[in-house]
Amino acid sequence: MNLVSESLSLDDYDEAVELFFERGWTDGLPVVLPTRRRVEAMIAHTGRDPQESLGPIPPKGGEATIEKLAINAVMGGCRPEHFPVVLAAMEAMMDPAHNLNGVSQTTHMCVSLIIVNGPIARELGFNSRDGVFGNGYRSNAAVGRAARLALWNLGGAVPWDTDKSTLSHPGEYAFCIAEEEEDNPWPPLHVERGRAPGSDAVTVFACEGPHSVFCYGTPEEMLHVLTDSMCSLGNNNMHVMGQTLVTLNPLNAEEFAKRGWSKDDVRHYLWEHARRPLSDVRACGVVHEQFRKMERDAGRYPLRYDLDNPTTRLPVTPTPEDIHIVVAGGRSYFAAVLPGWGGFGGFAVTRPILRPAR
Amino acid sequence: MEILVPVWPAGSSHRPTKQRLRDVHGARIALVDDNLDIPFTTHLELLLVERHGAKVERLVKPSGTAPSPRDLIDDAATAQAAIVGIGL
Repeated sequence: MNLVSESLSLDDYDEAVELFFERGWTDGLPVVLPTRRRVEAMIAHTGRDPQESLGPIPPKGGEATIEKLAINAVMGGCRPEHFPVVLAAMEAMMDPAHNLNGVSQTTHMCVSLIIVNGPIARELGFNSRDGVFGNGYRSNAAVGRAARLALWNLGGAVPWDTDKSTLSHPGEYAFCIAEEEEDNPWPPLHVERGRAPGSDAVTVFACEGPHSVFCYGTPEEMLHVLTDSMCSLGNNNMHVMGQTLVTLNPLNAEEFAKRGWSKDDVRHYLWEHARRPLSDVRACGVVHEQFRKMERDAGRYPLRYDLDNPTTRLPVTPTPEDIHIVVAGGRSYFAAVLPGWGGFGGFAVTRPILRPAR
Repeated sequence: MEILVPVWPAGSSHRPTKQRLRDVHGARIALVDDNLDIPFTTHLELLLVERHGAKVERLVKPSGTAPSPRDLIDDAATAQAAIVGIGL
């Protein structure tokens, strides 16, 4: 296989691992060493040209060739079967609608969450149930970390340089879940977003870490606590809208479905009721109010409310469709809200996972 | 064992930097911002023009969170100096 990357010849394992820290090629954790054999196996699995590029990764613009992405996927702990998922995630992040340049450099703490849908999630052992945002599953961890390492090594998004996140969050190491599709009464996320039922897809969405929502009871009771959690004044969404993500666990979804609520019913209810009066936003200070006015003046959204009336109740997103709903986690009492970056970008993008031809 | 490097070699073709301005008086200065804080930028323009005698050209980025379009960067590069506002 014709690979163009520079290579190093090292005999000592410990020395090789330490070299990645010394050169700044890793994110603070040790890596799986990207030997030529491992990298070639990763590329061979896809059947793609090693020099094919998905484009330059912002902010620094390193070309995302299949070869370089494969090296970073090996480092993240991926097996060759994971690599098509990594490639789909990278393609989705590099879609202009996601504004990866901004996501990687903003002072906000958003990180691009990878959501895996389709049969491939079960086949590769992605976790979609208990502890879905946590540890313990190689596929979630390795695919999530592979993407982060690509942003690190090719995009140059590192915290002492271009990544200006004030606080960031642990998803900077790996931020990847699968949606629970079997224990789920509703159409999965990728089908809602135009992919065929039974197909494999990845959706990326830049968001904060999960905010716990104690969510149990009747639909009305669950919606009461969800709407309150979504419109916290600390969220960017409350000031500059954009998109937000709600993760319901399978028991929550079942309770809604049993009482005749579709996912769209839930979404519309959330949009209508997750609101704060304009006076609340004004009380946050001039900067917060300025954001809303800036959005209005820029004409980015057709505002459906009066920004000059203090009693106006402001929604968290410009439309109901900007509220994404995913079913995942254990059957329990907790849901999660993951606020987005706001109207600046990080918007959800879905891409198919291209399985290699057999 | 042979290990492959995960990064591209560092670029070697840096653009030559322009000579630093010794005095802004009479100089053409590009003032680039994203309209997030118009009063601040306007005040800065006023100071540059009235107090220091600079000629200011205001350029507005369409987005505060994405790179400036190429045309805008080229316009700014024709000035003797550029001031770029970022963040809040």
